[in-house]
Amino acid sequence: MRLTPGRRLGLAGSLLLLFLGPFPGLVPAATVDEGMVDIRTREIAKTLRCTVCQTESVWESGADLARQMREVIRERVAKGDTDAEIRAYFLSRYGDYILLEPRRSGMNWLLWAGPFLLLLLGGLGLLRTLRRWVAQTPGPAADAPPLDESSRQRIERELRSLGP
Amino acid sequence: MRGWHFILLGGILGLLVLFYEGLWGDPKAIPTVLIGTPAPGFSATELGTGRTISLSEFQGKVVVLNFWASWCQECRLEQQNLLEIQNEFGNNPNFLLLGVDYHDRDPDAKRYLDVFGSNFHHIVDPSGVIAIDYGVYGVPETFVFDQKGIIRHKVVGPIAGSNYKQLVEQVIRPLLEGQRS
Repeated sequence: MRLTPGRRLGLAGSLLLLFLGPFPGLVPAATVDEGMVDIRTREIAKTLRCTVCQTESVWESGADLARQMREVIRERVAKGDTDAEIRAYFLSRYGDYILLEPRRSGMNWLLWAGPFLLLLLGGLGLLRTLRRWVAQTPGPAADAPPLDESSRQRIERELRSLGP
Repeated sequence: MRGWHFILLGGILGLLVLFYEGLWGDPKAIPTVLIGTPAPGFSATELGTGRTISLSEFQGKVVVLNFWASWCQECRLEQQNLLEIQNEFGNNPNFLLLGVDYHDRDPDAKRYLDVFGSNFHHIVDPSGVIAIDYGVYGVPETFVFDQKGIIRHKVVGPIAGSNYKQLVEQVIRPLLEGQRS
């Protein structure tokens, strides 16, 4: 029996599925899922502080505790927890310290807004001071009283004496 | 003095207070957030016997949960005091001292207990799952739960010196005598 190219392709596809059927790990979709677990684990671990390191994230750290935390994150991701649920879990165990970026709430607003607030206050202070300085500076020569005739003659004399 | 002078002065004073507080704090200390919350449940294998131990078995008891490891040098400083605590309270049916062998190998842990002694039970936590559930970031760390299973006290570092006295006199004994709520 001769097969058309389309039927040959269909048959090849069916044989491939038949072969891969008993090996679900070889099906591409499973590989994509596994990749997503890795990606989400990495992204969550990057936002958590390694509690036994100096300013390193759980993702970057080589410490045992950080490795164990990455495992916990991976298991929770695989179990179906959302990113927010996983972060909330670590927050409930370690407090705000576990977050590399402080939460934008309560007293933490002072941390976020403080530098800008100080910059604004400093700028306003500088503006006020500069304005006061400008106001206190003597006005231009136009405000000065006119030169009388004897003074003008004296200046001319002295200028001539300086000449060659 | 004008209004904005007061605001500026208040801001500077506020910052000074924050800096002052920060200067006297321990930069390594992580504030405990679990005090006053229910102790996370667990089931784990007992070191030596292989039987499964669950926290739920000890409802109604004052539980002292001590995280340790054979590779931990500071744990050696507290082992004698832990034995003392067990000697003093171990006969009380409302008391339990339980060790959690953290991220360790069983043969090393058994050798450690042979050398430094043990008169209480230990469970193993090789992957650190229980430790992370308790917000542990190093060993030794010790937690005390009341009869209702609420975490009442945490000690970071060895149970020695003033830590030991405080744990026994101000935490365990009052909890057992129902004087601490």
